[in-house]
Amino acid sequence: MNSILVLIVGVLAVLLGYGWYARRIDRDFVKPDADKATPAKMFMDGVDFTPASRNVLFGYQFKSIAALGPITGPIIAVQWGWLPALVWVILGTFFIGWVQDYGAMIMGVRSEGDTMGALSYKLVSPRARTILMVFIYFYLLLIMGAFGNAVGKVLMTNPKVPFGMIAVALMGVLAGQMTYKLRQDIILTTIVTVLLSFGGIWLGTRPFMESVFSAILGLPDSPTIFLGNTQAQVVGPILVIAFCYLGSVLPIWSFAQPVNYVSFWIVSLGVLGGILGVLIWRPGMGDFPVFTEFTTASGPLWPMLFVVIACGAISGWHSLVSTSGTARQLEKETDALPVGGGAMFMEMVFATMAFLTATVAFEGWQGYLDAGGAPAALAVFSSGLARFLSQIGIPETFGTAYGSVFLTIMALTIMQLVVRFMRVAGAELVGKQVPAMRNVHVGTSVSLILTLIFVWIIPWLTIWAAFGASNQLMAGLALLLIALWAMSEGRVHTWALYPAIFMIVTTIAALLYLAYDNLIVRLPAAATVEGAIASLLVGLIAVVLVVAAGFLILDGLKALRKPQERLADVR
Amino acid sequence: MTHEERRAGLVRRWGRSAKDFLYGMAGHDMTRYALKTRGSMEHLFILITMGDLLGVPILPPYYSLRLLPYVVPQISTWKRRMLRERDLTDALA
Repeated sequence: MNSILVLIVGVLAVLLGYGWYARRIDRDFVKPDADKATPAKMFMDGVDFTPASRNVLFGYQFKSIAALGPITGPIIAVQWGWLPALVWVILGTFFIGWVQDYGAMIMGVRSEGDTMGALSYKLVSPRARTILMVFIYFYLLLIMGAFGNAVGKVLMTNPKVPFGMIAVALMGVLAGQMTYKLRQDIILTTIVTVLLSFGGIWLGTRPFMESVFSAILGLPDSPTIFLGNTQAQVVGPILVIAFCYLGSVLPIWSFAQPVNYVSFWIVSLGVLGGILGVLIWRPGMGDFPVFTEFTTASGPLWPMLFVVIACGAISGWHSLVSTSGTARQLEKETDALPVGGGAMFMEMVFATMAFLTATVAFEGWQGYLDAGGAPAALAVFSSGLARFLSQIGIPETFGTAYGSVFLTIMALTIMQLVVRFMRVAGAELVGKQVPAMRNVHVGTSVSLILTLIFVWIIPWLTIWAAFGASNQLMAGLALLLIALWAMSEGRVHTWALYPAIFMIVTTIAALLYLAYDNLIVRLPAAATVEGAIASLLVGLIAVVLVVAAGFLILDGLKALRKPQERLADVR
Repeated sequence: MTHEERRAGLVRRWGRSAKDFLYGMAGHDMTRYALKTRGSMEHLFILITMGDLLGVPILPPYYSLRLLPYVVPQISTWKRRMLRERDLTDALA
């Protein structure tokens, strides 16, 4: 199949999905009213509740939901063949993904800007809020482990990458100083810092810098030094953790925000260059198989394929952003579809681009395997992007380093936010019993030590699958809430209930498979202590998530049985 | 309206939309954080004048009375911020 044909299929799916299916549900079932006051107007507080234009919010929503998930997922999923991966990215977004993003947003708008916690309290049961918070904590811990593993143990072990990453971080600090302290023009700040960042990425690929980082990482033959990890796999995650620590404890304006700002330009230019490269090159898939086998290294196609594509088709993260962030800024109810639904369809196009880097950039199956395959999904993306960029005259060596820095900063943007959240959550949950947890440095360190343990001992494909399963289960629970909300308003709710049933059944099956695989198969056969601990950890977390979801689903079913009038009273 | 004017209007609208989209992706977060910082400052500001606002002299009244005119316009939005129920997921937005 040709890459242009894949892009055409993607565009057709957007036109049909957004232009027909989404609009129909919006118009016929949800019936948004442009004249009705939204929480942004009713409760305007100049901070969280502030109306913004739909174009601004579309950009904000897309930036908040697009991270490593839509990139990594399709690259891992093509190990089942290109057809299952492409079909799930397109149909998953078409019938389920946008429903969750849009539904969560409109539910937030109609519920006075309530968060997922408050909504579960009102729509499901009082204990649902506490269970959801525990669920979210483990879910975020898995995000940290999966992203940290992908970045620290794969990308940062390439000696051409760490200096580029450090350069982008330093340029972020400079951007913060230029903006807030020196009061420089934003255009000047952007040009200076972005150009210097590119200079830093280029400098990182020079032999001198490469030899410095090769020495630090112990390359080329990095010795095994700790918990079965090589020196490079120990040092890489430490660099990532150091970055997250700074992002969590320094004032946001001086580090996290400006680094994210500079990163935005680096990532956007990379995506733009990649799309241009594909359009110029128009490569085909060669001998890339349509379908390989039902069971691969990541497990059976059902349910595992539906959870490893963690964001490209649907993601629970989006429901958190939609309710706590965007719903409180919508100027009109009618903006929910273009902002929530539109951003999800755009993310589908992003996932399709990632799919292409795995299937067409190496012109065949063997090329994909040689580039690293599913076990090195991010390396596949950076090499694939480098090949696309080479079509517009960018050298492949620089392109690979650029692609790696691009992915690293995308992951770190989310990781910094998650560490801050985990710090706050830790202080809330155990702050009374352990007062030290209220200290910024202690709270951050505890979160990051947990992350390091996950990164160092849990294998990549296992932690990605566990993260994907929890992420998609979160989405299933959000869809269940949306269905309950639609019922409580006396509206047709099947458009959210059927996707909820599919997602909940699939993700619980995936978590049970992970629990079985780790506790029954791998744990007794573990050859090392760290292998045994890893299996035990993943297995137990899968069980905890299933139990937590079980309680939420039980309460949700009870709520579904309640008469609609009673639910309306509760609201 | 002539055809050229309509076309120019359309181009302007598209340009404005693209600019807004770019701002939403790149800068909206920074603006929101600046607003949050201002909100926190306002909380402190109102705290130091609260006594006199209620008629309880905590600080020397002269300074508080000088500050009160700046506080009054913020009271309604401050009340909404302070009284709003929050949970952990607020930290994610």
